[in-house]
Amino acid sequence: MAEPTKKSKKAAPKNAVPKSAAPAEQLPAYRPGTPNAYLPMLATVVEVVTETHNIKTFRLVLNDAELMGKFSFRAGQVGQLSMLGVGESTFVINSPPTRKEYLQFSVMRAGENTSALHTLQAGDTIGVRAPLGNSFPYESMQGKDIIFVGGGIGMAPLRTLLLFMLDNRKDYGKISLLYGARSPQDMAFSADLPEWTGRKDLDCVLTIDREAEGWQHKVGLIPNVLLEMAPKPENCVAITCGPPIMIKFTLQALEKLGFKPEQIYTTLERRMKCGVGICGRCNIGEKYVCIDGPVFSLAELKGIPNEL
Amino acid sequence: MSLHTELQTAIKAILPDVSCVIGWSGGPDALRGAPLFMRSEDDVNNFSGGFFAVNNPALYLPEYKGSKVAVVAKGCDSRSIGQLLAEKLINREEIHIIGFPCQGVIDNAKVVAALAGKVEAGQVTAVEETDETIELSFPDQTISLKKTDVMADKCSRCLYPNALISDTFVGEKREPAITEDPYADLAAFEALPLEERQAFWEKEMSRCIRCYACRNACPLCVCRDHCAAESRNPEWVTQADGVREKLFFQIIHASHLAGRCTGCGECQRACPMGIPVLLLKRSLSRRTEELFAYRAGVDAEATPPLLTFTLEEPRIQEREW
Amino acid sequence: MATQKYIAFADIPAWLEELSAAQTVYAPRREGKAVVYRPWQKGEQPELVERPTESAKHIVFPRAEELFRFNYQQAPETGGSKKLSLAEPADPAPAVVFAALPCDTRGFLFFDPVYSGSGTNGKFQDIYYLKRRACTTLITRTCRAPLATCFCNWTGGGPANREGADVLSTDVEGGLFLEALTEKGEAVLKSAALSPATEAHISAAQSSRDKAARSMGDAPDLGRTPPALISLFENLDFWREQSAGCLSCGACTYLCPTCYCFNITDESNGISGVRLRSWDACMFALFTLEASGHNPRNGRAARLRNRVGHKFSYYPGLHEGRFSCCGCGRCIKSCPSSIDIRRIVQNALAATEASRG
Repeated sequence: MAEPTKKSKKAAPKNAVPKSAAPAEQLPAYRPGTPNAYLPMLATVVEVVTETHNIKTFRLVLNDAELMGKFSFRAGQVGQLSMLGVGESTFVINSPPTRKEYLQFSVMRAGENTSALHTLQAGDTIGVRAPLGNSFPYESMQGKDIIFVGGGIGMAPLRTLLLFMLDNRKDYGKISLLYGARSPQDMAFSADLPEWTGRKDLDCVLTIDREAEGWQHKVGLIPNVLLEMAPKPENCVAITCGPPIMIKFTLQALEKLGFKPEQIYTTLERRMKCGVGICGRCNIGEKYVCIDGPVFSLAELKGIPNEL
Repeated sequence: MSLHTELQTAIKAILPDVSCVIGWSGGPDALRGAPLFMRSEDDVNNFSGGFFAVNNPALYLPEYKGSKVAVVAKGCDSRSIGQLLAEKLINREEIHIIGFPCQGVIDNAKVVAALAGKVEAGQVTAVEETDETIELSFPDQTISLKKTDVMADKCSRCLYPNALISDTFVGEKREPAITEDPYADLAAFEALPLEERQAFWEKEMSRCIRCYACRNACPLCVCRDHCAAESRNPEWVTQADGVREKLFFQIIHASHLAGRCTGCGECQRACPMGIPVLLLKRSLSRRTEELFAYRAGVDAEATPPLLTFTLEEPRIQEREW
Repeated sequence: MATQKYIAFADIPAWLEELSAAQTVYAPRREGKAVVYRPWQKGEQPELVERPTESAKHIVFPRAEELFRFNYQQAPETGGSKKLSLAEPADPAPAVVFAALPCDTRGFLFFDPVYSGSGTNGKFQDIYYLKRRACTTLITRTCRAPLATCFCNWTGGGPANREGADVLSTDVEGGLFLEALTEKGEAVLKSAALSPATEAHISAAQSSRDKAARSMGDAPDLGRTPPALISLFENLDFWREQSAGCLSCGACTYLCPTCYCFNITDESNGISGVRLRSWDACMFALFTLEASGHNPRNGRAARLRNRVGHKFSYYPGLHEGRFSCCGCGRCIKSCPSSIDIRRIVQNALAATEASRG
């Protein structure tokens, strides 16, 4: 799938009389050979990286070599990881579309499924349904400056886009990254950090909430450090993800810096099951996070009911 | 002054002192009432007690904890309140109880059964109530039903028609419907062979749609959003659409209510599929009453036997085992 | 010319017996205090007075169904790792629903676009639903008179609604007048148990349908409901008032012909098991509870708001203005707390009308 799923949606007639339902010729018919949207592909865990005390990264390769070869996705799209017998949960594919030797997912242990996923070892087989959901509109970001603001496990969806942009470096202007965690031990993707902090074409700022011994970088809450960094809003796009409270204050900081809602993107989390817009669980008003998201601009979020 | 007017007067008198008064209004059709949450005198004008006041208002009390509310209570409702107080799930000083003598309430399922084959109860356009009957108007006919024929079973075996605990009692106290064993009707069912009872439950539970109305209508179901039925870790009940799962949940529910169920029957009334789930609970209630000499909800000061430990239970002669 | 037939009430079991040779026939049966759609049994006369308590949706959308089975095998060649295999279930068997209510039949039309993948332009479809839908024949029966809780004409339906039906049957003196509306309908009317319809049957059926339509009364204009519900979204006092008696149970949702939400769970017995899709409801607290403990719909006011909002605002916004409510009134009739969705919608209109001055 090269193109993100687009939806043709007509606005509701504002003064509709009760409408009859779909005419007979539009009735659904099952077409033999239609793929089963709920059946996972089998994948093998090729590597497990322990990131922090509660975050692990899994690198997967689809068992079907042909499927793996054809697999394509866009930065920001998600996958449903299945521990058969426990359940499925949604995670962003945090490796970039430009690096296809494996698909990478990072999992923070929170509930039953994620605890089960944490028991995985290299060589284990799991189920994957991917790619699902929309993606970052990175074509529209070409030629612009980019500021990434990530907190904790919220760095995962940013990582895929950051690496994609670094792999297509000439298409973008100045790229900055502000990544924060509670403490040095809570910082995921430590294997990436030396490269990110060392690159000349990436302005990388790391921060932790409180002073810690041996910490060489910033100390301070993400929104405050962001205000210090003071990225210029002109011709710039901000992309942020993290815990709800961090998002709330980061959005306030960005607006204070002069960013307009159209210039700010975030990814939403919601309890999901089907992942394909059918089971009805993840709606916020008319929007289904699993298919209309997870990526939303702040402008889009302002247009839907406040039910986060 | 009619009982209805007296109740309205009592409600209006307490209204300024409470955040709301919980009672009843008319419902979506002429045979059904609805819970009513009165905050203004206008609301009180919609109050309608009597034969259609089926909902148990005690259900809503725990969520109002921390503010003062008033509640209009039938005898059976007052037992639920008594049990909630005994379990310290609500605070006595936060609740003003307006008690009255209950003449019994309708069982809509009995109306459906009484009309079976003739007309659908839901087609009713109006209902006239007399002392002994309800007169139902349908588009093509009028049907008179005796109240005693369509009264809830719990009312025909009611020992406590008058609210047992109240701050205001309105009206003349009534005599109980019976004076003997309220569980006498269980004997016939319990005498059936185990296989027949199992078959009965499997057939009844096969209609269960797992909506959990029974659970959510129960004033004493305290776990609310943390129910064993839906817990995945640990997982007690699967999501499979089988009688085994459905019956298992009913047994969990009944067990959790052993010695606590006051027999208000809301679980059974709430069941859209007409499954007689109260039967399981009454069976356990009869046993806990025998074993522990305790009848749930009758004494708000008593300690429920399964919430405490006694070295020697008066009716369990362990030493003789 | 579509096939038109007649069957005397007394002959219905003979017809259903013939149909049940090739498929499962579901018909209304009184069981205890409820009327349910059950696989028809030989000789059984279906319940034709009291309307079914439940809708017919479980016949196409079962309360729980197997998505696939999984099995872990300890395989020596994988070096101690377990080998996982998945197996999809067999295709569903064909079914006929006899005497479905017009609102039940119409209910499927609200599933159809969603389960055909309207949200993803057809990229992801629900083949389980589509297969069952394709092999289920719906024989609808015109309603005779409305219940106090019926409001099908408010949302575009009617007591003789044909939408979604394969056969429309209508009561005439002593039996049913049957007309085929689709190819599937033609197939079930090819039966020796049926006799050709006469002119008298045709005109009796027409007057029966006219009488039913007249009995519905006037429908209010609900055209402004979608924006009204959106503008009331953050008015929690309004929603607390509407939901004051709500038990947050699933009776309304599970009896509803149009509510289509589901859960997916793995039911495992160690090394093998099944992934199930089972009914779920936005009225349950756990529906939106996240692993972190955060619940974006905390409290029953927020949950009832979603149920009403979905039916009368969000769904119409995505599906050409159609309310995802067929007005069967089961949610009202079977609500233990007598919550009336008609009143909520009208209260919403009145509340926004008042604020518009």
